Amino acid sequence: MLVAMSETLTTNEYTDDLRYEVFNREFMPHIDSMYNFAFRLTMDEDDANDLVQDTYLKAFRFISSFEQGTNAKAWLFRILKNSFINDYRKKSKEPSKVDYQEVETTYNSEEASDTTYTVDLRADAVQELIGDEVANALNALPVDFRTVIILCDIEGFTYEEMAKILDIPIGTVRSRLHRARNLLKEKLKSYASSMGYDS
Amino acid sequence: MNASPTTPSVTEEAQKQPMKQKCEHHAECMKVIQAILDDEATDAEKDHFRENMDKCLPCIESYRLEKCIKDSLNFKIEKKPCPESILKTIISKINS
Repeated sequence: MLVAMSETLTTNEYTDDLRYEVFNREFMPHIDSMYNFAFRLTMDEDDANDLVQDTYLKAFRFISSFEQGTNAKAWLFRILKNSFINDYRKKSKEPSKVDYQEVETTYNSEEASDTTYTVDLRADAVQELIGDEVANALNALPVDFRTVIILCDIEGFTYEEMAKILDIPIGTVRSRLHRARNLLKEKLKSYASSMGYDS
Repeated sequence: MNASPTTPSVTEEAQKQPMKQKCEHHAECMKVIQAILDDEATDAEKDHFRENMDKCLPCIESYRLEKCIKDSLNFKIEKKPCPESILKTIISKINS
């Protein structure tokens, strides 16, 4: 019985000293990435500040559920993403869940997969775009699509880590990423066209 | 990450054969291209990619585009440092 209990127990014994040591060693090095993630989710500096602070304070409070040796960055990103959904998404001006589902449904259909052919965008045109234009195209995506691109292409998480951060199956990570990239290409295409880079 | 060794190049061998101008399974290829660039492809997918990459123009162009977008996201977008004030607040709160 005792063995079974210890196997299922996920909390770890932390002394006070160890809490601070783990916090400084494992969590603090990710604060810039966390801040950028928070800013790209909320699109607001004050909200990003609050979100990062809340996340780090939560991380400290619940440090006993962090298993040393596991991926601290993924653990922190998961807390931040959950805080964002629970506390910030409601008040943000983001398109609502309904809009998101609508987009996902559209992109799930067979017809939509054919339309991916028609994003007529050349690598050369993308090469011409500056950072702000790429950032604006990314920011124009619905938040769930924006999130997978940030996690994968900017932060370099694996599909498995993304699945854990987002609480979705790996297959969904893969397909959401695919759809997100198609949407992003459309946004980039309109930037490239408006700049005259595509001719 | 896939660096330059996997960047598609039109090899002499491929030039001898007429290059495919249309890809009949492009949707499937796009999934593999995405997996390759994300370093998530299986060995079979990597082999298939290596063997066929130079033979299909739409796939070559798609690979270039996807790689270019991924690199742009990674390198062009500004990464801001976390403001000092947040760091200070966090540290003072956990020490109180």
